[in-house]
Amino acid sequence: MPRIGVFICWCGTNIAGTVEIEQVVNAARSFPGVVYAGDYRYLCSEVGQKLIKDTIKKENLERVVVGTCSPRMHEVTFRKAVAEAGLNPYLLEVANLREHCSWVHKDPAEATPKAIALVRAAVSKASLDEPLTALMLDVEKRALVIGGGIAGIQAALDIADSGYTVDLVEKEPSIGGRMAQLEKTFPTLDCAACILTPKMVEVAQHPNINLLTYSEVEAVSGFVGQFDVRIRSRARSIDPSKCTGCGICYEKCPAKVPSEFDMELGKRKVIYVPFPQAVPNIPVIDRENCLYFKRGRCRICEKECPAEAIDFEQQDEIIERRYGVILVATGFDSMDLTGYGEYGYGQHPDVLSALQFERLFNASGPTAGQVVRLSNGRPPQRVVFIQCVGSRDIARGQNYCSKICCMFTSKQAILLKEKLPETEAYIFYIDLRTAGKGYEEFQRRAAEEYGVIYLRGSVGKVFPEGERLLVRGVDSLSGRPLEIEADLVVLAAASVPRRDAPELARLMSINSDRYNFFDEAHPKLRPVETHTAGIFIAGACQAPKDIPEAVAQAGAAAAKAVTLLSKEKLQSEACVAKVDPARCSGCLHCEAVCPYGAIAATETEERVRGELLTRTVAEVNPALCQGCGCCTMTCRSGSVTLQGYTDEQMLAEVDALCLQR
Amino acid sequence: MAERRINNMEKIRTAVAQDLLSGRIDLLLGWEKGLYWWQSRPLFARNSEDLQRLTWDSFCVANLSGYLQEELKENKKIGILLKGCDSRALNRLVQDQMVDRERVVAYGLPCPGLLDPRLLKQEAGLELTALGIEEGEDRVTLTGTKGKSIAREELLLEKCRRCHHPDPVGCDQLLLPPVGSREDRSRFHQVTRLEEIPAEERFAYWSSQFERCLRCYACREACPCCSCRECFVEQEEPRWLGKAHENSENFIYHLTRAFHSAGRCVECGECQRVCPVELPLMELSSKIIKDINELYGEYQAGLDTEQDPPLLTYQPDDPAAFVE
Repeated sequence: MPRIGVFICWCGTNIAGTVEIEQVVNAARSFPGVVYAGDYRYLCSEVGQKLIKDTIKKENLERVVVGTCSPRMHEVTFRKAVAEAGLNPYLLEVANLREHCSWVHKDPAEATPKAIALVRAAVSKASLDEPLTALMLDVEKRALVIGGGIAGIQAALDIADSGYTVDLVEKEPSIGGRMAQLEKTFPTLDCAACILTPKMVEVAQHPNINLLTYSEVEAVSGFVGQFDVRIRSRARSIDPSKCTGCGICYEKCPAKVPSEFDMELGKRKVIYVPFPQAVPNIPVIDRENCLYFKRGRCRICEKECPAEAIDFEQQDEIIERRYGVILVATGFDSMDLTGYGEYGYGQHPDVLSALQFERLFNASGPTAGQVVRLSNGRPPQRVVFIQCVGSRDIARGQNYCSKICCMFTSKQAILLKEKLPETEAYIFYIDLRTAGKGYEEFQRRAAEEYGVIYLRGSVGKVFPEGERLLVRGVDSLSGRPLEIEADLVVLAAASVPRRDAPELARLMSINSDRYNFFDEAHPKLRPVETHTAGIFIAGACQAPKDIPEAVAQAGAAAAKAVTLLSKEKLQSEACVAKVDPARCSGCLHCEAVCPYGAIAATETEERVRGELLTRTVAEVNPALCQGCGCCTMTCRSGSVTLQGYTDEQMLAEVDALCLQR
Repeated sequence: MAERRINNMEKIRTAVAQDLLSGRIDLLLGWEKGLYWWQSRPLFARNSEDLQRLTWDSFCVANLSGYLQEELKENKKIGILLKGCDSRALNRLVQDQMVDRERVVAYGLPCPGLLDPRLLKQEAGLELTALGIEEGEDRVTLTGTKGKSIAREELLLEKCRRCHHPDPVGCDQLLLPPVGSREDRSRFHQVTRLEEIPAEERFAYWSSQFERCLRCYACREACPCCSCRECFVEQEEPRWLGKAHENSENFIYHLTRAFHSAGRCVECGECQRVCPVELPLMELSSKIIKDINELYGEYQAGLDTEQDPPLLTYQPDDPAAFVE
């Protein structure tokens, strides 16, 4: 039995407030193998760590058990302390007395025996700990950024400026994302394109950025430092080395479809660039709608192209490349409002989503910048804005606040007033949330200088009345029902994750919250990391965000990514699976379930009745194994063990816990 | 009928004799008559003399696929006679990389279903030694009684009465004409009946069954799925199963074995057949097969080797009630 030392942390009052520390220490002294048990107020402090190190030497400890907070917090700290005292760092066990015990209990009479049981289990496991060694692995000095909106652009630029090569993958034909669709930005009313396009151009010109538009990530394997990614670069049907971006092709193209960029309000050609400032300024042929691809006739673009750049035969290109880090910045969608029939969305041309309304202001938008009713082409005399459509709606939409709608609605009201000073603007809101630098002032300006009328309340129904729309609602401050005749109704649709976010989360093995926004590793302290090492998130794919926040987060994520890329070597996971070839029957079910491709077949030799036979068994590549344990669950004969979490150790823990009762 | 059987036997013998005597295969796994007329036992034929004893009748129940793993250590190439269920066992063994398909010549025998001696005895009301049978196309006549004749389907082994695919799949050659699939048969009626019993009664039922288990492990030995080199039962580090003859240990043994064959059981019924105390072991496997079908779509182990085994694959739309 190895000599085990137990250290119980008070964590101030976090643990000591609910758990009788002294009782735990006394109990620990009686556990098999324990030669020392002590406690300290803050074990993670310098002094606390020194206590551990000194005791290891003084008592000749061979295993260490700490009863502290979650191993997610301080396992690394204590492993280092143990290593500094000359022990293998994997001879440490953490009993989680805070998250698993003191924080979830109120009564010390219940919490204390549980803490004792947890320490007993950790001691039992520790007595079976074996020293483990981690490998040192190379870091591929290349970053992948997924998503070419403002967050992805900023992150790519920051990483590229640090001297590392970045591949920026964007699904659409151009980078720019949601921001490119905006006319102006709050609270400064800068023209969105004027501040975005210089960054887009910088991306295109940056020697360290390799731009892959019209491309999607199809598969991700590997691990931090060595992610292997398959990217499908869809055929544009245009040779980019020949195309001059003259635009004759889309001028002449006879087929039109609704424009995604204009939120389906306007039309685009089938060979198209999404917007005039697109980067790259190379059109794509939308093969689903192209007359030639559909019916085998047309080819007008090919005839008209002076550069002979049209290539109908072009194939999708598959790019397989290794990256050290991945940064996900896939942005958000505007919620589909078809479930809100009472507002007449989709039924009446004058009921628009906020993003659609935004496009009306844009000079290259569907109305060439004229704010008009789509039903009759005349300017509206009164516009009613309805906020929180889908947000803060537990019954039909999202529980959360989409955060940006109060501000963009005020912005759109101001833009409306600037363009049509005589037009009245009414805004129905539940609460006005204007936290942010200059935000409150901006909203006040809308109300006080521009005369936008804010009504606290909700709208029950919008329906056509003659040529206009009748908005029926309640003013919740006065309690009076309201009826307002309007020419345009604008709905502030909730911001929701991209439709394909769950699929991407699965590809990358990153967590999502219940709405499918990607989860950060810690809500406060690791806001741009994910639980998968080496994968970072930025922008509205994590939660609704405005531009300054998305940009700030992109910078932070880029800094984290660069920190990893700047390392020569990374330590691999030490708790990896191991196959016992004598027991393994070579069914390779473990290979089938391994999410990291870490298991492969190998040959082993054995003597059967005097003859040497070779047979197939499984083998784990410790550099690829991430210690998830799927293989150990699949193996019927228990031929695969996860080192640091062996079956014996797990059973010892269970036995120890049962013994307590 | 008797004539046809003799013709069939000749066809089978000629086909395999060619391969065995030419040296294409070193060993033929088939059946020969046992001590009694209602028994046919495995035959390991290496020469023409052995082949004379080869038989194919309504009692060739043993699934010979289970012998392949061991026999392939000593023989380069083995020929094997396979019924529908046996062929699925071979396919599953190949899928699990337990058997190198290149070293096996599989002869398929479309199977009309095998007779259950216990039912014969029951129907005749006589000891089997005092009994004989005459098999017709669809009926079986019991000689020794007053010429009692019963529909063949009613005398089949339980596993045959629920068999959907009596024709072998994935064989190198079929030695007899196919009999066609039998998806009209009810496959899960026993399980459904057990499922409907209240949990406490069901527990009592299984307790009384497992109570009788001798832990002889014959079920494991006969099972073509049980291909581990070292079974959890014998493992000492850690020791999963106590040595004591305790019903709780019996439970652990049988439930673990059922889970270990999950997604691989081909319903050949060998476990139940060889059980000396006649435990209804097929019901455990059947329950798991039924659950897999309901959760992940229709799957019969070994039927289609191209189909990915559902328990070894992940589909984004797989049900995940336990994490939601």
